[in-house]
Amino acid sequence: MKKDINSNRYIFLYATILIIVVAVLLTVTALWLQPFQNRNEKNEKRIKILTAAGIPDINKHNAALLFEQHCTDQFLLDENGNPSDDGTLPLFVIDRQTSVIPMQGNGLWGPIWGYLAIAADGKTIVGVTFDHKSETPGLGGEITTEKFQSQFAGKPVRIPVEFDAITGATKTSNGVREMIDNTLRLYSPFLEKLKP
Amino acid sequence: MSNWKKLVIEPLRKTNPVTVLVLGICSCLAVTAQLKPALVMGASVTVVTALSNLIISLLRKGIPNRIRIIVQLVVVATLVIMIDQFLKAFAYDVSKQLSVYVGLIITNCIIMGRLEAFALQNGPWESFLDGLGNGLGYSLILVIVAFFRELLGSGTLLGYQVIPQSFYEAGYQNNGLMILPPMALIVIGIVIWINNSKTETK
Repeated sequence: MKKDINSNRYIFLYATILIIVVAVLLTVTALWLQPFQNRNEKNEKRIKILTAAGIPDINKHNAALLFEQHCTDQFLLDENGNPSDDGTLPLFVIDRQTSVIPMQGNGLWGPIWGYLAIAADGKTIVGVTFDHKSETPGLGGEITTEKFQSQFAGKPVRIPVEFDAITGATKTSNGVREMIDNTLRLYSPFLEKLKP
Repeated sequence: MSNWKKLVIEPLRKTNPVTVLVLGICSCLAVTAQLKPALVMGASVTVVTALSNLIISLLRKGIPNRIRIIVQLVVVATLVIMIDQFLKAFAYDVSKQLSVYVGLIITNCIIMGRLEAFALQNGPWESFLDGLGNGLGYSLILVIVAFFRELLGSGTLLGYQVIPQSFYEAGYQNNGLMILPPMALIVIGIVIWINNSKTETK
């Protein structure tokens, strides 16, 4: 049988086989690389938490060790601000005093997230770190820079939080403000308890 | 000049995909604010063009003409996703910087252009070299543009400060416009101008 590479039968067969081969290839790669990717993501999270709490000189090599040393406690809070096993609000305690809480929000193009570190008295921000999925580099993407993040250190905890927005990135800056405000509202019962 | 040299060297200047064929400009604007992402983007595109050229060339006699574009897209997309997965696993910082652009490699006109214009008519080895040459030609322009943008825009190269602190104290300032996309367009324009004025075209 001479095959005709432009017959419908051949085209269907060709497309089907191609798709199956590609699907298997991608699945194998994804499964094989998953552990490495998870480790990287976990490290990234530790770096962000510790940086927010003001621990200097963290890189991907010493992140696991430093996290072990500094993170003295981590638990879940319920909506009344009490530690509870079926709480929904995670909390990390760094060096027995700083509380680091995760934040999630929306930027202009996609999700933004970060960590907010609050001093032991519940009144002062120790530091923040932000990250984003797809904000514009050079505009909204600037929220990940040291320059933007460092302005939060030492600010009072209050709603709405005040900071200098990024020129040309109003939507992302608004997203950051809403994210912090929402997080503070959720955690306010807990923060009240911290206040002396 | 032997055949393989011609295939690899010519796309660097004489038939450069960016400056002569003016393809792949959009990604040139996006990743050239700093040298490091430009290098990674260049390397990724080179790998993808070379390998996709090779694969399509191997398949070229069996690909039904009516679905050839779809087959090309599937091959390119698969390669790009695999490279993305590898970067996420072994070069996490780089993959974070490139996350927005990695998907753009698929739509890079250079890759589809080389597949259509070269790989469908030529043998695997020649196609591989052609892909390599065009990828390198693209990387070359990317690196040139990124070099000037990072140097003048941030005063650094590959993240290291090269403009001495005393310059800043004397009143020197980084040019903020260099970091924004319009300046990339202007720098590419200048590169194209220089390249074309020095290359003999008939």
